[in-house]
Amino acid sequence: MSDVAEFDFETEALSYMDQLYAAALRMTRNGADAEDLVQETFAKAFAAQDKFTPGTNLKAWLYRIQTNAFINTYRKKQREPKRSDAESVEDWQLAAAAEHTSTGLVSAEDTALDGLGDEEIRRALSELSEDFRMAVYLSDVEGFAYKEIAQIMDTPVGTVMSRLHRGRKLLREKLRDYAAERGLYERTPVKKNKDGEACRAQA
Amino acid sequence: MPKPECEEALDRLFEYIDHELPDEEIHRIGDHLKTCPPCEAEHQINEKIKRLVNRTGHDEAPDELRMRILATIRASRDVGATD
Repeated sequence: MSDVAEFDFETEALSYMDQLYAAALRMTRNGADAEDLVQETFAKAFAAQDKFTPGTNLKAWLYRIQTNAFINTYRKKQREPKRSDAESVEDWQLAAAAEHTSTGLVSAEDTALDGLGDEEIRRALSELSEDFRMAVYLSDVEGFAYKEIAQIMDTPVGTVMSRLHRGRKLLREKLRDYAAERGLYERTPVKKNKDGEACRAQA
Repeated sequence: MPKPECEEALDRLFEYIDHELPDEEIHRIGDHLKTCPPCEAEHQINEKIKRLVNRTGHDEAPDELRMRILATIRASRDVGATD
C-alpha cells in the first residue's frame, strides 16, 4: 500500500485552492462569502479526509464538499432570484430545433462575440440562475465530465445535460443582447436566404 | 422534413463539444459538420462561447485566505500531535 502512504492529502488538497476559490466566487458572487466558503470547504475536507479514497478523484470530491457547504450555509442567506428559469417541463431538445437559422446571421453573431470583453462574459454568466451557472462553469472552466458534474451537483447526468443545454442557450441570448446593446450585432434578421437557410429549415 | 443528420448533429452538439460521445458518433457528426455550413456555424459559435467562458474563469485565491487556511491546518495538526 505504498501508494496510499505516499499520498499527501494536505498538499494535494491545497493545490486546488485557486480553483475552489474561483468556483466559490461564481457560487456566492461575492468575494467575502467566497473566502468564507473556501475556508469552510477545507475545514470540512480535512476533518473528513479519512473518508477520501486515494486514487479517486480528489478535485471532484472537494467540489462536492464545497457545493454542499454552499447549499447548506450560503444559499439561504442569498437572495437567489426565483428559480423560474431552472429546469421546467420545457423540452430543451425541441427548443434546440428552432436554433438553426441562416448562416449569415450566425456568422454575424460569431463576429460580434469577438467584440465582447471578459467582464461582459462574467456578467452574463453571473446572471444565470445558480444551477445553470454552476453546470456551465464546471464544464467550461473546470472541464469536468458530465458524470463528475452529476456527482458534484448530486443530480442525474440527464439533469446535468439539460442544465448545460438551457444554461448555454440563455448565456448565448444574453451575449447576443449585450452585443446588440453595444451595436456589435444587428438583432433583426437580415435578408434571409442570402446565405442559404439552415438545412433543417430548408428541408 | 428536417434532415436527420442535421437533427442528430444539433441535438448532440453540446455533447460533441464536451467530448462526451463515443468515437463512432464523434466521427459521424464530425463528417456531417464538414459538409453542412449551417450546422458548422452553430458548432463554431458554441465552441467559441465555451472558450470565452473558460477564459474568464481563472481567479487566484487571495494570499490572506491562503495563509488563514494554512494556519488553521497547522493549528489542528499541532493539537493532534500533543494528544
